[in-house]
Amino acid sequence: MAANTPKVSPALQTLIDKGLLDRLPRSFAAFCFDQMKDWDLLFSAEHSYFERLFGLLDRSSPQEVERIFQPMRELEPRMGMNDKTWPRGQFTLEQVDFLNRNPRYPEWRAAVSQVFAQLDPVLDAEIARSGHARLAIVIAPSQLPADPSRMWTRLQGKGRRITVEAPERAEEFLALLLTGQEQGRGAPTIGELFAAGKKGGAHSSWVVESGAGVSRLGGGSPLVVKYSYQGLDSYRKRLMKEVQSVVDAREIAGPRQLSARLKEMKILASEGEAARDSILAEFARAILLSGNGTLLINNTFVEWATVQAVRRARPGLAVVSFGIRNKVKPFSSLLIYADQDATNPIPSQMDTLGTYVDLEIFYQYIWQEFEKYAEYRNNTVYLFVGDGMEEMLAIGPPDFPLLSASRPMKVAAVFGHLKDWLGV
Amino acid sequence: MRGLTKRQFVELAGLSIANRILPGRLAAQEAGRRASGSRASNKVIVVTFGGGVRYSETFAPEGLQNIPRLVALREKGYFFKTCINSGVLSHFNSTASILTGNWQRVDDFGFQPPAGPTLFEYYRKQSGAGPLDAWAVATNKSFASMGWSSDRAFGQPYGANVVLPKQLLLEAVQEVVKRGTEGGVANREDVLRRLEGVLSEGYEGVGWTIFQAGRKLDKQVRETLVRGLVEYINGPEAPTSGDELTFFIAREVMREFAPRLILVNFWDMDVAHWGSYSLYLNAITRTDRLTGMLWEEVQSNQHYKDKTTLLVLPELGRDGDQNAANGFLNHRSGDPSCRNTWLLAMGAAVSPGQTDRPVHHVDVAATAAELLGVQAGGLAGTPMRELLL
Repeated sequence: MAANTPKVSPALQTLIDKGLLDRLPRSFAAFCFDQMKDWDLLFSAEHSYFERLFGLLDRSSPQEVERIFQPMRELEPRMGMNDKTWPRGQFTLEQVDFLNRNPRYPEWRAAVSQVFAQLDPVLDAEIARSGHARLAIVIAPSQLPADPSRMWTRLQGKGRRITVEAPERAEEFLALLLTGQEQGRGAPTIGELFAAGKKGGAHSSWVVESGAGVSRLGGGSPLVVKYSYQGLDSYRKRLMKEVQSVVDAREIAGPRQLSARLKEMKILASEGEAARDSILAEFARAILLSGNGTLLINNTFVEWATVQAVRRARPGLAVVSFGIRNKVKPFSSLLIYADQDATNPIPSQMDTLGTYVDLEIFYQYIWQEFEKYAEYRNNTVYLFVGDGMEEMLAIGPPDFPLLSASRPMKVAAVFGHLKDWLGV
Repeated sequence: MRGLTKRQFVELAGLSIANRILPGRLAAQEAGRRASGSRASNKVIVVTFGGGVRYSETFAPEGLQNIPRLVALREKGYFFKTCINSGVLSHFNSTASILTGNWQRVDDFGFQPPAGPTLFEYYRKQSGAGPLDAWAVATNKSFASMGWSSDRAFGQPYGANVVLPKQLLLEAVQEVVKRGTEGGVANREDVLRRLEGVLSEGYEGVGWTIFQAGRKLDKQVRETLVRGLVEYINGPEAPTSGDELTFFIAREVMREFAPRLILVNFWDMDVAHWGSYSLYLNAITRTDRLTGMLWEEVQSNQHYKDKTTLLVLPELGRDGDQNAANGFLNHRSGDPSCRNTWLLAMGAAVSPGQTDRPVHHVDVAATAAELLGVQAGGLAGTPMRELLL
């Protein structure tokens, strides 16, 4: 393993040099190896996770480690894993395919789950000890054909609906919510304030949106990570064109070979700010090329990018803003990697009802993703907002003051509560 | 409705082709008569909700609104509340398991045929039925290798005709886009011109396995196909749905060749991968409607009425909303939502009822073999005794 180990942190390298990976079951070690191999492209939360995971295993007695991994260790030879099918330190699509087609795959999954069921509580306790207040704001577009009573139906009962006073100028709703002031004042956003605070820093505050309305707010702090479906328009279109040409040229034997080619399609500096940060550039590429419909559907992009940001970067603050999905056009909908606006001159039409249905399930998925991780449990406020809507759904710990509000409040006052919650 | 012209499409095409391959439907009917025992006239149609659909959007209480036709049919059919896919949760392997009666673990993308004999091969080899008596009408390109297995004792000589109608449309649309003609794909005339081109040059690549006996379509067949597709494309509803075309082809195959064994693999609901729940729900409802129309065809077609068993089941489920990577978008988690589906059987010999007894996808081939009077050996699946009274 040592000959081709990935470049990792000194602390982790020390553990690898001690042979820690070699003592783990073949498939577990290979998976970890693969996850760590592009160390420089991982977020700090990912670095921390691997350091804590392997630190825990190193601290544990050999007997305890053996006990935890015994089911996997016994299962692997029965699955046919050996040096030929599972070369040490290799985890490619060949191995994924091997697992998927193996009759004992369900047993393997269960064994892996059992391993993490024993490790996660210890790792989670470490996280909980250093926990801090976090915030997620999920914004629905103003054009949705639903009143507040029909919004966030899958999350009813998890929080409380808060009544707000609509601002005099409806277009100022988001500015007031996110900066406490009207847009013209250029006040910093809650995300900028958090990123500049003591719990902030690089990759700690995110905006993921369909359009560009949220990204435009505030003072343009480079500390806030911003991904916009609209903003990545030129990169998306180039990717679609390149993928289509690769497929058309029939140079690619199959999905496995295609995957290797897709890894080469990096964002250019002219295509988005993410290009300036190698971690964020790789994140953009991965979101657009491994996330099903993220190239095609604005809200799929928003949902998948958010889910991946939470899973990988664990931001302390996230503003997630959906848009209206367009109707699928005849014929061009058959083509996965085609720009529908270019291939079909019929004007795009908004699908407001379809978008409403799409978002109702995405609210649930996003909330669930946050709550999977110890960083967020018991210390995160979730605010589900409809742009311009007179009610919002707040979910959070009981001590979040907004949950006990007894009368309608101004949108700017909500901003004040959020600021206080985060201590910024 | 554009039914008449569509019917002409396959009627004329089918007759021409059949006459060149063998003495047409008479041969198929003759083969049917040679099949064993009292089941000699039985027919089986397997309808799969390809792409995968969850219980929660179908027969769970909250899903019933999406499948009004199947809900109504359930009262007349036999409903297996639990049909389990214990195999590989990919499209090709799932459907191959349904067709072979053994859990298939071949390449997920159709680069390998099923590893064991399909129901088509068992049926044709034992009954002596001709190539027009077993059909698979599907969508995914990988399914072009679904018609027969790699088993040397069976294989292509006993396989099914595989037709992938949506691929035909796809090829045409891609070509129009590539050429960047004025109006793009909204220019239906241009799409049609390309369809004509596909039929002339590349029809074998889009799954028209039946034509393998000849390298080129004759002029009459080609013109007939184009006429049929002209009507289809210029119909009142522009076809965003490949499943509409799948239904149309399947129905015309039934009318013209009356095969005893058909797989109809609908696919639109796989749009779930795009991440739009509403498009996924719309596709489910469309498949429900098309399945209902297929049953109506069985009831009104003298070759099928009172002698056909329709087996309807999802190819697989999709990931559950709880604790999954991304819920309905995917189908690889292996959770119960992904594996536990249902099966609805319809037919003259089917007594209305339902059972909690779990059955499996591999039981479909075993059951269909019994219904067709075929002895299929070495199957992991077992016949569903509730349907064999």
